[in-house]
Amino acid sequence: MKIEGTQEISADRERVYSALIDPAVLQRCIPGCEKLEATGENTYSARLRAGVGSIKGIFNGAVKLEDMQPPSRYRMIVDGKGQPGFLKGSGEIALDEKNGATLITFSGDVQVGGTIAGVGQRMIQGAAKMMATQFFTAIEAEAKARPDEPPPTHGFFRTALRWFSGFIRRSVAR
Amino acid sequence: MAEKYVGQRVKRTEDPRLIQGLGHYVDDIKLADMLHVAFLRSMYAHARITSIDTSEALHAPGVVAVYTGQDVSSKIGQVPCGAALPDLKVPDHRVLATDKVYFVGHPIAAVVATDRYAARDAIDLIIVDYEELPAVIDVEGAASNSTVIHEHFGDNIAYKLTAGEGDIEAALASADHVVKQRLVHQRLAPIAMEPRGVLARYLPGEKELTLWSSTQIPHLMRTQVAIMLGIPENKLRVIAPEVGGGFGSKLNVYAEEALLGWIAMQLARPVKWIETRRENIQATIHGRGQVGYIEIGCKNDGTITGLRYNVFADMGAYHQLLTPAIPTLTGLMLSGCYKIPAIQMNTTAVFTNKMATDAYRGAGRPEATHVIERAMDMVAAKLKMDPVEVRRRNFPTPEEFPFKTATGLFYDSGNYVGALDKALEMADYSKLRKDQAAARKDGKIIGVGVSTYVEICAIGPSAATPAGGWESATVRVEPTGKVTVLTGASPHGQGQETSFAQIAADALGVDLNDIAVVHGDTAIVQYGIGTFGSRATAVGGTALVLALEELTKKATRFAAHLLEAEPESLQFEDGKFSTDGKSVSIQEVALAAHLARNIPADMDPGLSATRFFEPKNFTFPFGTHIVVSEIDRDTGDVKLTKYVAVDDCGKVINPMLVEGQIHGGIVQSIGQALYEELVYDDQGQLVTGTLMDYAVPKAAMIPWLELDRTETPSPVNPLGVKGVGEAGTIGATPAIVNSIVDALSPFGITHLDMPLRPELLWKIVNNAG
Amino acid sequence: MIPAQFDYIAPTTLDEAVALLSQHADDAKVLAGGHSLIPAMKLRLAQPQLLVDIGRIKGLSYIREEGGQIRIGAMTTHYQIESSARLREICPLLPEAAGQIGDVQVRNKGTIGGSLAHSDPAADWPAAALALDAELRAVSSKGERGIKAADFFVDLFTTALEQGEILSEIRIPIPKARTGQAYLKAAQPASGFAVVGVAVSLVRDAAGKCEAAAVGITGVASKAYRAAAVEKALAGASLDEKMIAAAAAHATDGIDANGDLYASAQYRKHLAAVYARRAITAASR
Ligand SMILES: Cc1cc2nc3c(=O)[nH]c(=O)nc-3n(C[C@H](O)[C@H](O)[C@H](O)COP(=O)(O)OP(=O)(O)OC[C@H]3O[C@@H](n4cnc5c(N)ncnc54)[C@H](O)[C@@H]3O)c2cc1C
Repeated sequence: MKIEGTQEISADRERVYSALIDPAVLQRCIPGCEKLEATGENTYSARLRAGVGSIKGIFNGAVKLEDMQPPSRYRMIVDGKGQPGFLKGSGEIALDEKNGATLITFSGDVQVGGTIAGVGQRMIQGAAKMMATQFFTAIEAEAKARPDEPPPTHGFFRTALRWFSGFIRRSVAR
Repeated sequence: MAEKYVGQRVKRTEDPRLIQGLGHYVDDIKLADMLHVAFLRSMYAHARITSIDTSEALHAPGVVAVYTGQDVSSKIGQVPCGAALPDLKVPDHRVLATDKVYFVGHPIAAVVATDRYAARDAIDLIIVDYEELPAVIDVEGAASNSTVIHEHFGDNIAYKLTAGEGDIEAALASADHVVKQRLVHQRLAPIAMEPRGVLARYLPGEKELTLWSSTQIPHLMRTQVAIMLGIPENKLRVIAPEVGGGFGSKLNVYAEEALLGWIAMQLARPVKWIETRRENIQATIHGRGQVGYIEIGCKNDGTITGLRYNVFADMGAYHQLLTPAIPTLTGLMLSGCYKIPAIQMNTTAVFTNKMATDAYRGAGRPEATHVIERAMDMVAAKLKMDPVEVRRRNFPTPEEFPFKTATGLFYDSGNYVGALDKALEMADYSKLRKDQAAARKDGKIIGVGVSTYVEICAIGPSAATPAGGWESATVRVEPTGKVTVLTGASPHGQGQETSFAQIAADALGVDLNDIAVVHGDTAIVQYGIGTFGSRATAVGGTALVLALEELTKKATRFAAHLLEAEPESLQFEDGKFSTDGKSVSIQEVALAAHLARNIPADMDPGLSATRFFEPKNFTFPFGTHIVVSEIDRDTGDVKLTKYVAVDDCGKVINPMLVEGQIHGGIVQSIGQALYEELVYDDQGQLVTGTLMDYAVPKAAMIPWLELDRTETPSPVNPLGVKGVGEAGTIGATPAIVNSIVDALSPFGITHLDMPLRPELLWKIVNNAG
Repeated sequence: MIPAQFDYIAPTTLDEAVALLSQHADDAKVLAGGHSLIPAMKLRLAQPQLLVDIGRIKGLSYIREEGGQIRIGAMTTHYQIESSARLREICPLLPEAAGQIGDVQVRNKGTIGGSLAHSDPAADWPAAALALDAELRAVSSKGERGIKAADFFVDLFTTALEQGEILSEIRIPIPKARTGQAYLKAAQPASGFAVVGVAVSLVRDAAGKCEAAAVGITGVASKAYRAAAVEKALAGASLDEKMIAAAAAHATDGIDANGDLYASAQYRKHLAAVYARRAITAASR
């Protein structure tokens, strides 16, 4: 499944970039991420309690950042496995400056397998969109927070999404 | 024999217990001390197993044992493939995956635990490391794919076969037109209402293994599983209790059946496995799965000169019992109802990273019928002729039977034009066409589709089948006069407990309720072949007729002895032997035969007979289906507004059972034509993995079916029956597709591949690209 | 299709139920009709540790009129709503939508509260609740509050219900005189859920023009939504064929449609407009 979209974040590009590659920030922003530990340079092992509503699963896996060209682009590779199946993805994330804000363009390929692929046919697209939205919404809150402020807490939607969902333009195609 | 029951709409004697929930399916059988098995199955389509760690699972509460491929592959033989073809590649097919997994659902490990929940919980504790490999999914590309599934074969080609007779090149060259079309028969899931299930019990003292399995072929399974487990066949008993449908999916010997038997022997405790619906969709055989290219030549007057079909047949990752044979059935039936002087089928059978295909209701014949019936419509479109007319032009006349086809068959009997005319009259075809023209002017999108089909049934002469094509029957009149019929056929929803009782009741002049038809237990019933290929009545019913004849002969001699008369002088009517005003009933004869105080010196006591029937040929039922469809311009939704079917299955024993078979078949055809498709994504994930996504048609989606029949007896068996179990899935699919293609012909459409989902049709109508 | 282990408690009062939920926080799930939750559990996509069955609580299953509202208890089954003669009279959209849910078994077990709380993107009730301007009452150990349907559906399977809250009642303003309603759906052939479902409730003035319209659409996006652009186009309009079609064409304005095997995003959007047109037409009869 292809995932691509753009998201405008009203924060400056350096800050958005550093948020996007900061493991502490990533752990807070990746929906359901319970653990993100460095296992090597730009390589992390992760534990994710991912899902939507009452549908949830625990995934263990690795996150890897590659081709890092601060502050304009990098590649992210995710590989997770759990009881409900597996999830693999890789994508390009590009950051462009746009009137003082940052335009993020992401495009990638996500594969799912196991139960989530076999029974979630009608939901996968919606779930992918939802998680992408959650992620970038949280990143925006992070990037906008002043350095001296405590990091924001992401009750996913209830906090940040309410303000920002309007900005999101994205398209997710199978 | 007086026909009191045969030909009547006798209600199914099976139904009261089934409707009340009093039947016993495998899962209803519970044994003391029974353990439960759950399977860990691959979630990858193609991967190397680098390690399996079962230690945590083994220590989980309730878990008794965990087995992996390493534990069992050297102990249990291969899952059998019964199809023999020249140069056929047969992969090493172990009951559990060893070094590689080949499809989503491939069993990797079995957990045995004290209940189903504990077994299932422990599955999640097994840790498997995989090295993922590219998956081979596309059927046409598989042959040239650089990924080879079974590496030592060098490629993914299971076999290549050219079949047919006549000079195809010359035939196509002599045609005024050659119509070509690529055509897809999508993969389907058989979806028997009852999934598979196995219960195994081993008695170490007696060294006896009993398997209760939801199967269509208890005896063949006994033989195969005995071989797989290396145990004496006479120490293995297979029982097919109530079986909730099979549609061919239980005409097989599965890994789970042998493995459960083996586990029961290891643990000396009964073990049970009941397939879940997800497993059923993933790991019970699939049907269809062909992508082919048609070339059909015709003269300007509609005469067909030749047909070539180049087909890629999707075997899946392994061969199950008949996997490679299914496309050969397609090849046999490509001539359809028509005189076609030259036919050639070139098959490339390929391995893919999917579950094996095998016999699903129709098994290769729906594909053939779809090819030829679509081709006839494309010829009609090319020649701007009425599709009915093109068909008529090419029919053999009733006098031309037995009719030889260029596929090497002799059709037994037929009156194709008779069935066609009857259906046309029922549907009021000429009015339909007028109405269609008028409706088109009003902007409506209406189509009329016709299919005239012939199928091959009563499988079959032993020479043409891998494991014997005969069937057996025993009839006993017990001392109390009750009649027991033992049949080697293994009905699983067809209703032979009723129809065979009808045959026996008429033959012996006894009440239907005095007859018990027993089947599906290898310890009770003499060896038999089973129920599939629309054979049970034509072959098994005939064996029964022969046994009844023999039994009646014996009874006549006993009766003559009792009445002190010559056997030839006796009349046998309504269950009574009589001569000169004296009479004795068959029940009295049976008692006397058992008491044996007064029987002829050269006769054995008791009253029973066992006979086998070896058919000399297949039978060839046929018929015409006519469908009217209307497409909603706004949404692409299809409504089947009229459905007429005239089927000829030879002599009819019970019209209600025949109609039930036709109904069910048509419903599954509607499923294939409009809704059903097993979709694997390009990674080999089965995305239609539950009934939330795999669209089996529901009652409310089915139009009223107007059925009638013609009766052209088969000369192949004394009953004159042909078989009807698969007719619906064979005749109906092309009629539905032809109807929808006809509806869309004003949009330039001459062919569409199934399933015909609304979005596809909407795009055509609205040119939305 | 065998669920993971869970505990089960069936309290008999709402107070007990909410206490259990606040006690067990994230580990507990409410069980209503079980026709969404149990299938998810059998696939092990949901693995709650504790099920709090609210089916034994008296007084959660009713349909009554009070304070100018129709009040429906959360545990009222689809079938009870489908078969209510009174609702057929005063708010036919409810029985009409109920009658199109699943099959007889599903309608006899599934509840309106369970369906709304689950917020399946293809469920039927959310469209109806939106078109009827329903207010959803939520009870927790902290008290009770009302949530407007328009604020209730947040995203895929996600509602505004907080942890520990139980949806107790659905309140719907009794439709005014000259109200016309309809619910129409394109059902996915396998599941029966909505590929697209459109609920319409519109009020006409004495001259027959549309005074106000409410249109709820389900199946198209990750959650059901009010088709504001359609409603705006209908307000004050005469309900002729052309007007209706023009209004319905806005059914997915600003909506990010999902696609799947049965309907691409493009086709879904098209279907939404078709079903909106048909539902508005039916409601204006
Ligand atoms: C075969 C089948 C076909 C179906 N077809 C359709 C269809 O066509 N259209 C359609 O709309 N639906 C359909 N459904 C779903 C059905 O309508 C369900 O009943 C409904 O979605 C959920 O209601 P329930 O009472 O069964 O809730 P449950 O399954 O018990 O619960 C669902 C979720 O809501 C939560 N919950 C339940 N009640 C409350 C409450 N009062 N307060 C807070 N949380 C609560 C639960 O914790 C759970 O997370 C179908 C279901 C099946 C099995």
